[in-house]
Amino acid sequence: MPMFTRRQFSASLAATALLPVLANAQSGEQKTLNIRFYDDPAGFDPANIFRVENENIAFNIYSGLTSYDSQTGEIVPDLAASWETEDNVTWVFRLREGVMFQKGYGEMTADDVIFSFERIMDPATASPYASQLAGIVRLEAPDPYTVVIELDAPNGNFLHTVANYHQGQILSRRAVADLDGQVRWNPIGTGPYYLEHIDVNSEIVLKRHEDYFRGPAPIETLHFRIIKDESTATIALRNGEVDLVMRSNREENLQTLQAAGFRMNMVESYGIVLKVMNLEFEPFSDKRVRHAIAHAIDYDAICNAIAPSLTEATPSILPRWMPIFSEDIPKYPYDPDRARALLAEAGYGSGLSFSHLGTSAQGVTEIQQFEIDFLSQVGISMTMDLVDTPTFNQRRNAGEFEMATRLLPAINPDMILFNYLHPDNMSPGGLNGARYDNPEVTELLVAARSEVDSDAAFKLYERAQQIVMDDLPYLPGYSNNVFWPGKTSVTGVQPNYLGQVNFFQVDISAS
Amino acid sequence: MVDYSLKKFAQLIFTVFGVVTLVFFTLRFIPGDAASAMAGDTISGEALELLREQMGLNAPLWSQYLAYLHGLVTFDFGVTITTQLPVADLILRAMPVTLSIAVLTIVLTVTLAIPLGTLAALMAHRGQNGLDNAITGTAMVLDLMPSFWTALVFLLIFSLTLGWFPASGTISFDSPVDYLKRIALPVLVLSVTQLATMARITRTAVLEVLSEDYVRTARAMGWSEMRVLFRHALKNAALPIVTVIGLSFGNLLNGTVIVEFIFTIPGIGNLLINGINSRDYQMVQTLIVFYALLFIVINFATDIIYRALDPRVKF
Repeated sequence: MPMFTRRQFSASLAATALLPVLANAQSGEQKTLNIRFYDDPAGFDPANIFRVENENIAFNIYSGLTSYDSQTGEIVPDLAASWETEDNVTWVFRLREGVMFQKGYGEMTADDVIFSFERIMDPATASPYASQLAGIVRLEAPDPYTVVIELDAPNGNFLHTVANYHQGQILSRRAVADLDGQVRWNPIGTGPYYLEHIDVNSEIVLKRHEDYFRGPAPIETLHFRIIKDESTATIALRNGEVDLVMRSNREENLQTLQAAGFRMNMVESYGIVLKVMNLEFEPFSDKRVRHAIAHAIDYDAICNAIAPSLTEATPSILPRWMPIFSEDIPKYPYDPDRARALLAEAGYGSGLSFSHLGTSAQGVTEIQQFEIDFLSQVGISMTMDLVDTPTFNQRRNAGEFEMATRLLPAINPDMILFNYLHPDNMSPGGLNGARYDNPEVTELLVAARSEVDSDAAFKLYERAQQIVMDDLPYLPGYSNNVFWPGKTSVTGVQPNYLGQVNFFQVDISAS
Repeated sequence: MVDYSLKKFAQLIFTVFGVVTLVFFTLRFIPGDAASAMAGDTISGEALELLREQMGLNAPLWSQYLAYLHGLVTFDFGVTITTQLPVADLILRAMPVTLSIAVLTIVLTVTLAIPLGTLAALMAHRGQNGLDNAITGTAMVLDLMPSFWTALVFLLIFSLTLGWFPASGTISFDSPVDYLKRIALPVLVLSVTQLATMARITRTAVLEVLSEDYVRTARAMGWSEMRVLFRHALKNAALPIVTVIGLSFGNLLNGTVIVEFIFTIPGIGNLLINGINSRDYQMVQTLIVFYALLFIVINFATDIIYRALDPRVKF
């Protein structure tokens, strides 16, 4: 009688145990994507969501009236199938029919849209995004599939305001009532994935929303695993512990992964890094000094030397891909002689010094070391004023600095133009940290907003860009590229200009 | 003994109250708060003010302090400011991971350090300095390696190249083997850093005892070298070693902060770092009380062990 040896027996046991797993993998019905997530999640309530990693989860859970094309950054229909406006003041949105909320909360109608916007606008919600909707004076639903919004002033960029981002994300009135307003960890939307499980210290699990209005997504489970350290994340991808890395942001890791044959999914020019020059600080109040600084630093050389994959010198405060971006603006090529001449003209021939606000967490970055060096060559001494991160944020918001850096991730041009250039938004209240106030620019921005004809609006925006780039309250440095390296079998990963991936487009191929 | 415990307990209450008060106020003297830490780059001052109101950061300091004390006394540790989740739940869930790493590290360190230290002492005592120098030299090098660096080197060797242990992944007690594989690297890294100190202390303590009169007497009585070593030398050298074990347990609770970050371990070190970075007062306050209690328990345990080891120690 044949006898199993112990080793044979356990081998056959293991083989039987493996069978169902293999069968599932082959049928492709239980696709799971393991994704590196880089920080502890802080919740997904559109009223108080922050930081791109949380926003990326929310982007896949919720929908807006409009959304963004991942490739081009253009506005595309989402919950609204179409819309019309004659004056940029009254907007009529026609909703899709039969859009279902997750977890059995029924059909989404105009009432849910109105509820979601009113919730953000309600002072009791205390949402930092309330100001985005402050221009709304009338919000109506003539029928369940039509929403009419009237604004107090024309806003040609209003479609950005109602996109699938922050205040634009639509909640279910019934779900929020059931959850007693506790949306943060119980997000219920109409997007392609719903939140199944979360452990704020280690993982987030999203499951496919089977009734998604565009049909079920190709992958059933998205398993986000929190890995904070960049080197660990790189090793985890190489070991196959994760299939995709959310935002790998160290040059050496990117080069290692590229050499190892991973797919380097990326988006260019996500967010522009600007130098904010406080115009109330004496030397910076002189335009010639600001021009001198621009001519003194060679950002092309800096980007190529430090992080050629991750950074790129940029000529404007608007990213190139924005439809209103104009190439016809004053530019400041590297020219140390011109910088020295400008400084002498302004009365700083013997040199000048200023301090640059920074965080002790980051220290003096390699880029800043180069900036210090370039500036010293024309007689400008830049010293770093390093404080801890919350203090940094507090002082930067209050406008208590001579020079500071801002990262501008924005898809809505008004987020840059109005927030940073309009006198109403001067710090400490707003983001205009340079305290820039040029009535001509303000007028152009307001006029452009009410212009319905896009060519005419472009002309107005172009003129505004020309004036601003001559006044130069903000010095454009470089833009960041965002990378999501992954296995070659993972397809369709296209970070959009907000740095987010739409997982409805992502699949795992058989290979 | 009972008297001693009661006295200790009274001291404990007093110490914890001091720690609580100190932590409460120092945290708030650090510039910046949870709202500005959370909002980060793209928020205006006005919106920040709204957020602050929502997080309850605008309440007067004294009322925040009283609410906090009341919470402590009633064992209601509240919710974190940033995530609105119950602080006690988060800590209780994170604790077993960190404690298991710390305990395993101590076990591994003691198992390696005491024989090595004793061996080095024995060699030094006999004048055979070669092996002694090798052991103390290696210990010194290990001691000087910063743990974040060791952690990365170990990751490269044991995870990427050899593939023995995962670099990341779920931590779950469901499968003990997977669990041990997952925490193996953190335990190794921490052991390496603790090993040096403990081996050196053992060496010094044993070496000192080896030159005592009673050891000479024991030898003169014709007892075997092993018996002399274990019955007399090690037992008498145990007091400083126990002290170091107690201290290193405390060190480990700090040391886990770095390895938890690199190896993505969801432990209390991770909670602490996150709490401090995000100025989550509620989380940091509660964690510090927890740490203080843990240290007190460790000290208490060390005292008890002292007494068991050396009857001359009186309470």
